[in-house]
Amino acid sequence: MKQTIRVTINGRVYDEDVEPRLLLSHFLRENIGLTGTHVGCVVGECGACSILLDNKLVKSCLHFAVQADGREIITIEGLAKDGALSTIQEAFVKHYALQCGYCTPGMVMASHALLRDHPNPSEDEIRKALGGNLCMCTGYVQIVNAVKEAARGSANG
Amino acid sequence: MIRFDYQEPTTLKKAFALMEKHGDDARVIAGGTSLLIMMRQRLLAPKIVISLARIPKLDRIAYNQKTGLRIGAGARHRDIELSAAVQKHYPLLHETFRKVAQPRIRNMGTIGGNLAAGDPLTDPGASLIALDAEVILSSSSGQRRLPVEQFFVDYYQTALQPGELLTEIHVPPPLRPGWSHIKFTPRSIEDFATVGVAVTLKTRNGSCEDIRIGLNSVAATIVRATRAEGVLRGATISDAALREMGETAATEVDPVDDNRGSAEYKRDLVKVLVRRATQEALQRLG
Repeated sequence: MKQTIRVTINGRVYDEDVEPRLLLSHFLRENIGLTGTHVGCVVGECGACSILLDNKLVKSCLHFAVQADGREIITIEGLAKDGALSTIQEAFVKHYALQCGYCTPGMVMASHALLRDHPNPSEDEIRKALGGNLCMCTGYVQIVNAVKEAARGSANG
Repeated sequence: MIRFDYQEPTTLKKAFALMEKHGDDARVIAGGTSLLIMMRQRLLAPKIVISLARIPKLDRIAYNQKTGLRIGAGARHRDIELSAAVQKHYPLLHETFRKVAQPRIRNMGTIGGNLAAGDPLTDPGASLIALDAEVILSSSSGQRRLPVEQFFVDYYQTALQPGELLTEIHVPPPLRPGWSHIKFTPRSIEDFATVGVAVTLKTRNGSCEDIRIGLNSVAATIVRATRAEGVLRGATISDAALREMGETAATEVDPVDDNRGSAEYKRDLVKVLVRRATQEALQRLG
């Protein structure tokens, strides 16, 4: 039986009817049309579907959409302001921190959550924070460099 | 994904009523990081899923100098990791929860859900055993308390009876000041442990006055290494005694071959890591 949920996504309120079995990741992509959130493993291993739920970084494939009723979500689409990329997104572009791009939304969301809570992380802290995001292309070095640069950028104001 | 109905009771009383009404057709969901995967894999097929997320105060963490720490079953791993009281008074718990999976999972999974799942590969249980913790099991007819080591019954089986919910974890003020936690992972940091060891101990004049050892990933349940503790308790601390303790611990475990290592390898790791964790705990005492 479908249930009605109300969620705020990137500042906009949505009222949607969903089946309880619908995963939050699929809800975002298929019901709302925000396909920036990627679906990889769907068992909580790869991190491509990472979003902020009530400001906490979570894997949206490990949530049912009904569990998000009344809550606030930020997806990768919510980071750019008026078409201008965020500091982290700019740093990813600059350092070529992606190749195929599949893991990128999750990497950026995880980096965003990290720098929000720890503006000056060590390399070890960056690597630990990205521990749940798998990338099969880059070898992670450029990604870590991008996060370092974004940290410097945010520290400089 | 299978079809099911979803309910969000707003009080424990309503949750018990739903559990009673639906019996075996119902499953309780907290953070969902374990249940959802099992449903995807068709290992579980509940007709109704009862969420505890809207029950107020179930995630409360409260510390009292005399009675210790009370952790609501709905507290997330991350809440416990970052709790100031936990960092100050229970460094072993802080260290343990820092190592559970990775931040995304720690932001979702709860301590109650973790323990109630009865998964022998996860970290919190061993440290709670080492800290003499108890679980509070509640039902419509009342509450009972159980030491954590007695809560784990078999592979994915706990002492929870039908109609019962794990509502709180109680950790007394630490009885032994020395502590150590070793999580040995085979590949990346967010993996389950090949072997996990938690130790607390207390010494006097070069002897071990008391010690407790919890182990995960080495048997069908998270276990307490009682015989190994017995080797060191009351004994003068020496390399020989520590070695004998490690060897005894290896006889108390029953690991299986899997992609984190062979049973033989894990048994050898227990031997070494129990000794090493104890040495670390002794070093902390100075």
